[in-house]
Amino acid sequence: MSPFATSPAPAPPTAVQAVDAVLLAPVLLPAVAMVVVLAVAAFLPRRHLLLDAVAALSLAGAGLALVAVVVSGDGSGGARGTFCVDGPGGVDGTELARACSYVSSPLSSGLQAAVVLAALVCLLLALDGPGARPRAEHHALLLAAVTGALVLAGARDLMTVVIALETSTLPVVGLVALRRDRVGAEAALKLLLVSVTSFGLLLLGVAVLYAATGSLHVALMRAAVATGGVEPLPLALGIALVVAGVGYKLSAVPFGLWTPDVYAGSPVPVAALLSTVSKVAGLGAVLVVLTVALPLVADTWSPVVAVVAALSMTVGNLVALTQRTAVRLLAWSTVAQSGWVLLPLGGGLAAVLRPSADGGAGAGALGGVSGEAAPAAQAAVVYLLAYVVASLVAFCVVVLVTRHHVDGSAHDLDAYRGLARREPVAAGLLGLALLSLAGLPPGIAGLLGKVVAVGPVVDGEVWWLGVVAAVNVALGLAYYLRWTALLVAASPAAPATATATAAPGVPAAGATAVGASVLEAAGPAAGDAKGPAARAVTWDVRPAEGLALGLSGGLLVMACVLPNLLVGVAALDGVPLWP
Amino acid sequence: MSAVVLALLPGAPLLAAVLLVLGRVGRRAAALTATTVAAGVLLLAVGLVAVSRPWATSGDVATLDVAWIGALGVRLHLGLDGIGAPLVLLTSALTLLVCAYLWAGDDGDPGPGAHPGLLACVLLVEAGAVATFTARDLVVFFVAFEVVLVPMWFVVARFGDDASRPTRAVVALRPDAPRGPAARADAASRFVLYTALGSAVMLLGIVLLAVRTGTTDLVVLARLGPELDTATQVAVAALLLAGLAVKVPVWPLHTWLPAAHTIAPTVGSVLLAGVLLKLGSYGMVRLVLGLVPAGLERLAPALAVLGLVGIVWGSLACVAEHDLKRLVAFSSVAHMGFVVVGIASMTPQGVQGALFANVAHGVVTGLLFLVVGMLKHRHHTADLAELGSGLRDRAPRLGWLLALGCAAGLGLPGLAGFWGELLAVLGAWEGGAALGALARPVAVAAAVGTVLAAVYLLRVLYLVWHGPRSGGPALPDARTVELATAVPLAVATVALGLLPWLLLSVTAPAVRLLLGSGS
Repeated sequence: MSPFATSPAPAPPTAVQAVDAVLLAPVLLPAVAMVVVLAVAAFLPRRHLLLDAVAALSLAGAGLALVAVVVSGDGSGGARGTFCVDGPGGVDGTELARACSYVSSPLSSGLQAAVVLAALVCLLLALDGPGARPRAEHHALLLAAVTGALVLAGARDLMTVVIALETSTLPVVGLVALRRDRVGAEAALKLLLVSVTSFGLLLLGVAVLYAATGSLHVALMRAAVATGGVEPLPLALGIALVVAGVGYKLSAVPFGLWTPDVYAGSPVPVAALLSTVSKVAGLGAVLVVLTVALPLVADTWSPVVAVVAALSMTVGNLVALTQRTAVRLLAWSTVAQSGWVLLPLGGGLAAVLRPSADGGAGAGALGGVSGEAAPAAQAAVVYLLAYVVASLVAFCVVVLVTRHHVDGSAHDLDAYRGLARREPVAAGLLGLALLSLAGLPPGIAGLLGKVVAVGPVVDGEVWWLGVVAAVNVALGLAYYLRWTALLVAASPAAPATATATAAPGVPAAGATAVGASVLEAAGPAAGDAKGPAARAVTWDVRPAEGLALGLSGGLLVMACVLPNLLVGVAALDGVPLWP
Repeated sequence: MSAVVLALLPGAPLLAAVLLVLGRVGRRAAALTATTVAAGVLLLAVGLVAVSRPWATSGDVATLDVAWIGALGVRLHLGLDGIGAPLVLLTSALTLLVCAYLWAGDDGDPGPGAHPGLLACVLLVEAGAVATFTARDLVVFFVAFEVVLVPMWFVVARFGDDASRPTRAVVALRPDAPRGPAARADAASRFVLYTALGSAVMLLGIVLLAVRTGTTDLVVLARLGPELDTATQVAVAALLLAGLAVKVPVWPLHTWLPAAHTIAPTVGSVLLAGVLLKLGSYGMVRLVLGLVPAGLERLAPALAVLGLVGIVWGSLACVAEHDLKRLVAFSSVAHMGFVVVGIASMTPQGVQGALFANVAHGVVTGLLFLVVGMLKHRHHTADLAELGSGLRDRAPRLGWLLALGCAAGLGLPGLAGFWGELLAVLGAWEGGAALGALARPVAVAAAVGTVLAAVYLLRVLYLVWHGPRSGGPALPDARTVELATAVPLAVATVALGLLPWLLLSVTAPAVRLLLGSGS
């Protein structure tokens, strides 16, 4: 019998729910702002600046509220809940007694921080683009999606998870459609169909899990599994359905194959939103169901997640190798990165439940709202944070280059040739972001993300997954480095390139040497005389875009110099990532 | 005080590199900055070693310990001991020579000259290598180990020398061998993908070690690592060795090396041979031998055999090679094979020999690459047949430098190449504890390998150095500035050959400590 068989079987909760408004402030602010935006737009439709201010300030306020919530905690790292019900055994005041629908824990705060940051950057990026043409609609939809993602991070019952997930998805469909052309409509339709199908799977999975465990509350589900007597087959079926239903949100293979088409068909800032906020929401849902609710059956779900992670990174990287368009390359890279995000969860039971120092994982810690600190979940959040910051920077620069490029959003990577000479700051930040995504210095944030992410896999000795991950480091490097190399490529002007490509055909060594020296000579010259390839209109960075780039870029640089900022978020509760 | 110096050793070149990249400095200013910083680092390193006397004690003689990533328990912990000190000196000396070479060559010669980007890459490689050789934390070691990748990739991909045609041998094997810029891209990406894959595999081993012991501090790990159960030690050792073997490189993971060496500019080749390969062998000594000795003991026979195959394979490839630069590259594979055999023997003589051969290879191969680079600048080819014979008459300075390099390479007593390989073979002969019945055969076969080295290097001397003065255009001899970069290496070659105890006494206490903790 399991050591967790101390608590009685859970009965349906009955008590009145208490509401803690302070705890909910980070979630409520964007929701209220959404209503305000719509109201303002109804009466003062031309006051764009006011709308922008309301949206941006509400997100900034949500960030501050989040900080306040974390700081006001007792520092023990335990979770604080609201919308709680008394579970069975409430009279003796054990932690098991309370099951909360919404909690604030180090895990949820880490995810929410990523959401707020990403949403703010995406909002700033969108302000001056065509995607935000009807301001009120754009801002309201974005705030709705953000509210959903924020709730999802703290949701601890499956109905809240389902509703929050949909709240964070459906508005994005509208945002994609704001592009208002055929491609945009097609992308929106595609996203809608995928999300509705996945929603069906998710609901089915939740229903099966409810049938299997007798509860929708995460804490009670965990207790039910701990006490034993849960049928393994329905449990496995429910888990499989939930993973399939959430996988599209993470862009994991095979559920995320919509990603490249939708990214390419969206306004670029919305693609940025999809690759950051949506991914955080997806990971939030995965973590709530797998590591918070069902950690004790990690042996069931971990191999499934391992396969999904391995497939995602391999397929994503292999296809990304062949991409020539910036947005599509980022889309496939995001598929690969979702594999890295899921990687720690593939480490098996050892990685989810580490025996604590006080003599094993006690039933109290498992049954209550605390004890969310699974090493694998922490590692996934660390990797996700590193990815989100780097991805935001990359998208900021892509937005800027797209706006300055004659071919518009369909530009291929050649638009970045020699960017370092024309725009050293933007190119430098993009290079840092790409190397961070690849996991090489100077992108130390991403490198440490990878160090942390392989931890649970190595701990669980899932060697095949470790080797797949190692191979994927090299695969990913190939295209990230190719892009980085373009930034500093010597010849933005056509003539030098032509000489260089013609030279190999000339048999005499002397001629080839001349070709090479021409290439060397042409490099600096072409860079200095903003050559014809810099045919973009004069590079002007609008204030909002500059703010977005400055914010995300500053964070990325800080995360690379002081990685403790990044890694520390996941270890807020003082539980070390490594034993 | 020593902590500040220890921080400056990798910190100063790192800062200078960032300045060179960010500030848009001219070529002269860049060359001046880089050379000054490199000279300063060398002075600091020499001063630190002289003051802290690593030959007197076995542990770290200088340390720096600052909090870095609290959540992972990772600290910026640097230290200097008898194993790291010679490599730090070698790295900083080679960097200074390379910077000076670039500065001197910045007057219309073909080649990159004092390009600020190239100088920044050189300084970054120095910073990463010095940090690796002094790191006392697994994660810091890994980060520093990876720092050199991107700059080195830029050196090959951006400043590579694709002017020469692929040699006949290459064309015969691969008619579609890439040429021109494509060859540059091919060599650079092969280098970076191989080594990145190796690092990723090594990372698995590093994380396994950290997770199983609960610490990343190398000083603590030196105590906890050997206490792990044998199965874990074998797993850690296998992962670390597999990753590091790419960098060393150990046969059959060496195939990136000849391409990278052939394409890399002269300074790139010098840094590759003198600094980058040392990261791998140093990692084997510090991490594998030092932390998981029981694991290495199980894998030592296989490692020794692979090292041996590398010796023979590299030498045979040299015998057949037409391109002088590729030949030196393949000879690197052979020389590093001796280092690997020495480490695998797990005897004091063998490890001492490996560390000696490590430094000697950096000096001798650095010298050879410099000379070959000078020849290549003059001929625009490094094909043995086209270089022509009679170099000793046509350009006596270049000729004697080449002769010295070749003589040291074939292990002539009295020159640097001799002692390391002798001790490595001796170590293998005595290494019955780790190598079992293979010890004697490996030692004998490795000794035969030195004969092969004599074959291919004497062939080079016969074809290029010796013989009648061949026709063709007059060959300008080495200029004073070129001599100034090559002569220090020549002096070091002779000095290490005549006074081997200079180096052996520095490494001895640390090696005793390293092997003592294992048993």
